[in-house]
Amino acid sequence: MNIGMERKEPSASQPPRRGVRIPGLLLEVRQHAPVWFQTIVLLCGVSVGLGLSFLILMAAGVPADGLVLEFKNIFSNTTNISALLTQLAPLLIVGLSAAVAFRVRFWNIGIEGQMILGSIAATAIAINDVGPEQWRLPLMMIVAAIGGMAWIIVPALLRIRFGVNEIISTLLLNYVAVNLLLHLLYGAWRDPQSNFPNSEQYGPAERLAQLGWESLTYALPLALLLTAFCWWLFSVSRFGFYTRVVNSNPKMAGAMGIQVVAVTLGAALLSGALAGIAGFTISAGVEYRLTQSFFLGYGFSGILIAFLARNNMIGAILVSLLVATFFIASQSLQVFYQVPGSIVQLIQAVIVISVAGFEFFNRFRVRLAR
Amino acid sequence: MPILELHDVSKSFDGFQALADASFDVEPGELHALLGENGAGKSSLMNIAAGLYRPDKGYIRVAGRDVAIDGPLTAKKLGIGMVHQHYKLVKGFNAIENILLAAGASNYRPGLAEVERSVREHCETMGFSVDLKRPVGALSVAEQQRVEILKVLVNGARIIILDEPSAVLTDSEATALLKVMRTLAAKGAAVVLITHKLGEVKAFADRVTIMRGGRTVTTADPKSSSLADLTAKIIGQAVCETRHPAKAIGRPVLRLQGITGSRADGHRTLHGVDLTLHGGELYGIAGVGGNGQPELAEILMGVNKPTSGTIEFTGAGDISRSGPADRRKLGLACIPADRATYGLAGDLSICENYIVTGVRNGAFGPWSRVDWRSATASTKNAVDAFEVLGVRSARQKASLLSGGNAQKLVIARELASPPRIVVAHSPSRGLDARATSEVRRRLLEARDGGAAVLLISEDLDEIMLMSDRIGVMTRGRIVQEFEAPADRQLLGKAMVHHD
Repeated sequence: MNIGMERKEPSASQPPRRGVRIPGLLLEVRQHAPVWFQTIVLLCGVSVGLGLSFLILMAAGVPADGLVLEFKNIFSNTTNISALLTQLAPLLIVGLSAAVAFRVRFWNIGIEGQMILGSIAATAIAINDVGPEQWRLPLMMIVAAIGGMAWIIVPALLRIRFGVNEIISTLLLNYVAVNLLLHLLYGAWRDPQSNFPNSEQYGPAERLAQLGWESLTYALPLALLLTAFCWWLFSVSRFGFYTRVVNSNPKMAGAMGIQVVAVTLGAALLSGALAGIAGFTISAGVEYRLTQSFFLGYGFSGILIAFLARNNMIGAILVSLLVATFFIASQSLQVFYQVPGSIVQLIQAVIVISVAGFEFFNRFRVRLAR
Repeated sequence: MPILELHDVSKSFDGFQALADASFDVEPGELHALLGENGAGKSSLMNIAAGLYRPDKGYIRVAGRDVAIDGPLTAKKLGIGMVHQHYKLVKGFNAIENILLAAGASNYRPGLAEVERSVREHCETMGFSVDLKRPVGALSVAEQQRVEILKVLVNGARIIILDEPSAVLTDSEATALLKVMRTLAAKGAAVVLITHKLGEVKAFADRVTIMRGGRTVTTADPKSSSLADLTAKIIGQAVCETRHPAKAIGRPVLRLQGITGSRADGHRTLHGVDLTLHGGELYGIAGVGGNGQPELAEILMGVNKPTSGTIEFTGAGDISRSGPADRRKLGLACIPADRATYGLAGDLSICENYIVTGVRNGAFGPWSRVDWRSATASTKNAVDAFEVLGVRSARQKASLLSGGNAQKLVIARELASPPRIVVAHSPSRGLDARATSEVRRRLLEARDGGAAVLLISEDLDEIMLMSDRIGVMTRGRIVQEFEAPADRQLLGKAMVHHD
């Protein structure tokens, strides 16, 4: 480890007798940064990223006061808050999906594909009216989870058995899933009433019920319940302990008698199941049908949420809230200032880069060389 | 006049004082040994000379001139070259490419052919044999070390620092290496040898500087100081090693029959190992490195499967196909040679590393919950009982422990519940005298508690000191067995005997 990578500054007037005093900054590798410090560094990273994003938005023609007003608006009336919380649910679930996989170093880039499969499975139940009506919704959720798992088990087994890089395999399966979706929507599942390329509407029994406050549905409690479950599984239970050992040193874990394959596969399947459920909450909680683009942006957002939350399940709630704010803000920015919707992804990317840059302060202690 | 001087150098890492006013000098033409326990600050001091660390305080002179060494490149320009304990080589490059790479971007112009010529010259003058064309990842450890030394020499070092070069070598390889270093010194180079082997110091060094707790304690002439004297200065007390033969050897516990196995690259290294371990007995496997010892250890640990043969565990039948989990349930404990790979998870805390096996047994709460309170408490007890030093808190990362203390942590975990079989592979490699004797004491305690202990070591002294029975392993077979105390000459003969 190179500890002497300090910056040289032009003031080379070092005292000759004192010997090796090199001017400039001295960087010391931190052995361990306390949690409060890491939190501050993270907040600084997010703030700088947000600041940069604001500058970019202003350069794109959004006036500063309009921008501030936009964000104020989101939190100022109950309709907007409810829209925010509605947006929060699927984001939180994909964030969990990414975090769960990353906990065992399984780089699941295929969250969108798994969401699509989840929604396809749920829609198959819905439009074919499978099972009694009171069990329809739970059944849809279960098959959505199974759909997500089905889409991740192949890359997981390929990686475990043959060492195939899961980044590539999960990523490519996204495209397969999208085309399967389009095949269904332009073919067998095309809405017979409107003839648009989306599925027919779900019936009332196939929609997530409303909580009774604004338009909020049971998707949010479901997401929070899943968060609590993941927190318990990874921070409290024995399985969670095993994942930490596998994450840190799989060879050692194996020698200690931990079933590395089972732990990795278990976490990967859970990741797929969560992604499938996220798809289900959008289809059955927001759009009430299977559409062509319901999944767009969620894969990257999930990764971002897991990254910013350091794979911490509780932290994911806060980060999801932030990302949900971008989603909502971008919708009105599109309408009022003709800013493209992909600006959300731009903001996310700027924040990721900024936070990754600030990581420097967790790794090094900067001191002025005397 | 000294060519390199370090005066009153201090260095702390995140609050830990690694060096406190340490001073050291080396003259051209001498081999100067830097001796001390693990964590005494030897490597830190030399890393400062090599430009890897910057001192908090103190100054450095090269050839009488004050210098500021602000990085490895500066050190190289000043003629300081260091061979680190963990080699800094690009595994996929061959020796020539590695050497050119290390020369720095401004020196790439001469090209590979020129470097190769220079490397071959150096090889010839020193009598090194290295395959220059194979990727260094495919070379043996000794060869990789030679590449490191060549790298330093080709880049024109006049001050050569070797950090524990013999730790990874067999006795004869180490002797050959140190002879080469003497030749270099005779040609006018200044050689610094970091070591904790007193024998090497006595046999090869012109001067010795002893470090303890980050300070340089004394500089002496090794020829005129006695071993006991030097030892006392290193640790502050003399260590005396006597044999403790087994008192009660019990019934057979483990029987290996015709075990064959191969390395990950498919190379067959085990050609039918037969041996029987008895309870209450320490069985030592002696042998020159590279005769199948690591493969045998991995097969016993359960992380690799033998290609044929059986492992009979008394009361459980053939376990050759069962994994580490089942074997541990039967009472197998393993002290692996490579702590970083099989022994510890460096990113995890000391506590987490200690409780891994206990959590699996359900000693720390049910499946739904890991009981951190009792886990922390028993970690603290174990850390105290096994004298793991340098632990500020059980939540500290295990990678921050020095070699000897990391090994003590592994042993504390493995012996946490009384084992029936202990497989220890080079358990004292890289440890200082005190840590070594503690590790050995633990193994003997386990044996006297009724466990069958298998000690695999390339250190013949260790094997002779510890074992009740000795098997000599050559070319993937136990070629001969000896009852202890065995004759050193006969053992040596068996070790080099080839069919």
